[in-house]
Amino acid sequence: MDKYAVKIEGLTKVYKDFWRRKKIPALTNLSLNIERGEIFGLLGPNGSGKTTTIKLLLGLLFPTSGKSWLLGCPSSDLKIKSKIGFLPEETYLYKFLNAEEILDFYGKLFDIQRKERKSRIDRLIRDVGLEPYRKRPLSQYSKGMLRRIGLAQAIINDPDLVILDEPTSGLDPIGSREIKDLILEFKRQGKTVLLCTHLLADVQNVCDRIAILDKGVLQVIGSVKELLSQKDVIEFLVRNLSEDDVQAVESFIKNRDGDVLSIGHPSSTLEDIFINIIRKN
Amino acid sequence: MVIFIIAHHTFREAIRKKILYVLMGLGILIIIAAPFFPTIDEPDARVKMMLVVFFQVVMLLCVVGVILLSATSLPYEIEDRTIYGVLSKPVSRLKIVIGKIIGFALLSALIIVILSLLNVAYIKQIASGLPESCRGVLKARDEFKALRFYIQGKSHHTSEGIVWIKGGRDGVAFWSFSDLCKTPNNKTSFEVEFDLKVESGRGFVGSIPVVVGIEDAFQGLGKTEVLSLMVDEPLTLKIDPEVVQKSGSVNITVFPIHEADYIGVTQKDVRLFSVQKGFIYNYAKAIVITFLKFLLIVIIAVMGSTYLSAPVSIAAAFVVFLCGHILDFIKDFSLLIHRYDVPGHALPTVLRKPSILLIYVDYIIKKPLEWFSVIMPDFKRFDTLKFLLKGINIPLETIGAVFAYTTIYAGICIFISSIIFKKREFL
Ligand SMILES: Nc1ncnc2c1ncn2[C@@H]1O[C@H](COP(=O)(O)OP(=O)(O)OP(=O)(O)O)[C@@H](O)[C@H]1O
Ligand SMILES: [Mg+2]
Repeated sequence: MDKYAVKIEGLTKVYKDFWRRKKIPALTNLSLNIERGEIFGLLGPNGSGKTTTIKLLLGLLFPTSGKSWLLGCPSSDLKIKSKIGFLPEETYLYKFLNAEEILDFYGKLFDIQRKERKSRIDRLIRDVGLEPYRKRPLSQYSKGMLRRIGLAQAIINDPDLVILDEPTSGLDPIGSREIKDLILEFKRQGKTVLLCTHLLADVQNVCDRIAILDKGVLQVIGSVKELLSQKDVIEFLVRNLSEDDVQAVESFIKNRDGDVLSIGHPSSTLEDIFINIIRKN
Repeated sequence: MVIFIIAHHTFREAIRKKILYVLMGLGILIIIAAPFFPTIDEPDARVKMMLVVFFQVVMLLCVVGVILLSATSLPYEIEDRTIYGVLSKPVSRLKIVIGKIIGFALLSALIIVILSLLNVAYIKQIASGLPESCRGVLKARDEFKALRFYIQGKSHHTSEGIVWIKGGRDGVAFWSFSDLCKTPNNKTSFEVEFDLKVESGRGFVGSIPVVVGIEDAFQGLGKTEVLSLMVDEPLTLKIDPEVVQKSGSVNITVFPIHEADYIGVTQKDVRLFSVQKGFIYNYAKAIVITFLKFLLIVIIAVMGSTYLSAPVSIAAAFVVFLCGHILDFIKDFSLLIHRYDVPGHALPTVLRKPSILLIYVDYIIKKPLEWFSVIMPDFKRFDTLKFLLKGINIPLETIGAVFAYTTIYAGICIFISSIIFKKREFL
């Protein structure tokens, strides 16, 4: 068994325009590996190529160049999809069906046996909190309710690899919290999770490793802890220091050939990293 | 298995749409109204009208509905991105296409079966209230072609393949039929249909008297009678079963009585029919062929929809459907230009010099038009009404040929669709 759940090598996608001229480079030479059992966050501002990456992995788009593997198989392999769960960035579901019917349809596509299917559907509908609405057509669902049923369909096949594109969009705070708990539960079960988002709060306490994309180019990749601790940088957290003392400390450091990078008030650090990287470009 | 899941899903989606019920309701209304449509003054016109209305109007309505649904299904899924849900599962794209086709084929079958049952029950009901003579079309006849045809004596002249005979025993037209009783069956009766051309030197007359002889080929058993042959109207005669059953061969002779009258004859102008009562069976065969037509339309509509957006896909399906019905016209289109330009027997005042431009246009479009008419599906093959209206048993070979044609055409279409759809990206 391959030790990588996702392996991407030099993946590039250039969208073509109507005349098939190459126009928009959405993803440039992306290479990364996601290990099994890992929760991996793919971060980036709007339009940085996160969704494009996922669509390439799932074979909805074909790469301009490069290759990718899912769970050790080339991602074009159909069979591998039975072990993958996918939640698209918006919920695209058949509006004429109700919650039960749509889960049943997807369950059948995974060739899950009738009895097993039925029990999974019951459990999932309960887990995502839609028990009272299970017979209602999806056309009457709210955005957040659709998101929940979308999540349920993504895991109906008990996947080894779960790909979530902005899972918390449209969810209330409780819903977002439940998603986080769910992701941690996946980790406990040994599943791999690929999480795409621009909401850092989603990522911070959940992901083992993250990558940050900007304009389709990979900027940083590493474990969250690693990224947050820069070995050659020292940060003092001080309280109740007068302005004069601050200047005195600064001049002392300068006399000793130290670089003062910044003096200010600390903030949420992952956000700093994110914003610094994006600003630099 | 996956194919049938998709098919079931497609079917379920379609039957939850309102448009289907609107069109079905309209179809049912038309079927019910059909016997009250004004008809010409012919005994079985009322029943014929019900058949025509069903196969031409109601079925056209259904074709419209089926095209609207099947040509838009995939484009809407791609537009709404619901297709992501299916494509991210272990389902090959070919299976999606085939599943869609089967789903709409099932839908067509359901519509056709419901409406045709209604139609046929209604026809039976209406017909049972009509006198025997008005039910002439409710039969299924097998056609026999003349094995031999010649003129005894001398013909007057021949033009455009039609042999003209002058009245007064100058010449006698002779047709012979054999092998009529392959399966001797008491229920079978026989009739003969004359579709001769009539002209008279006595000025304008509506009909002329002719002598018709029908007899057993070997023993000369039979009878000769004088009948009046109407201009432009086929004449049908029952044949005494005795005559046919002995040897299974029949000779038929015709000549006009008056010296000033003429009849124009060819080999296929006299046809012999064995008559069974199997109208329902015949109708069922017509429905099978109609279903095959729907199947082909669905496949073509789905094929277009693997590449085109919803409105374009609908338009394309309708264009193909239309072109498939006017292939002869398309093939002759360049000929029309030609004719118009160099009229063969037009008055000299209309005669014009052929314009070089028209000849050029003709030259350019000739080949493409020919190819176009080859590529387009030939829906003429699916015309069953011509059999039903004449009460002719639809030959099993016809069904076989239509089935083979549909299979081949469908195979090619599905092959093309799968290639197109496999290459498709979903943005
Ligand atoms: N169908 C398309 N045709 C042309 N360009 C596209 C298409 N879809 C996306 N792009 C371009 O590709 C780039 C990456 O888009 P992508 O959807 O992958 O971004 P994203 O990281 O998912 O953004 P978001 O956070 O807003 O979801 C963008 O510049 C976008 O304009
Ligand atoms: Mg996105």
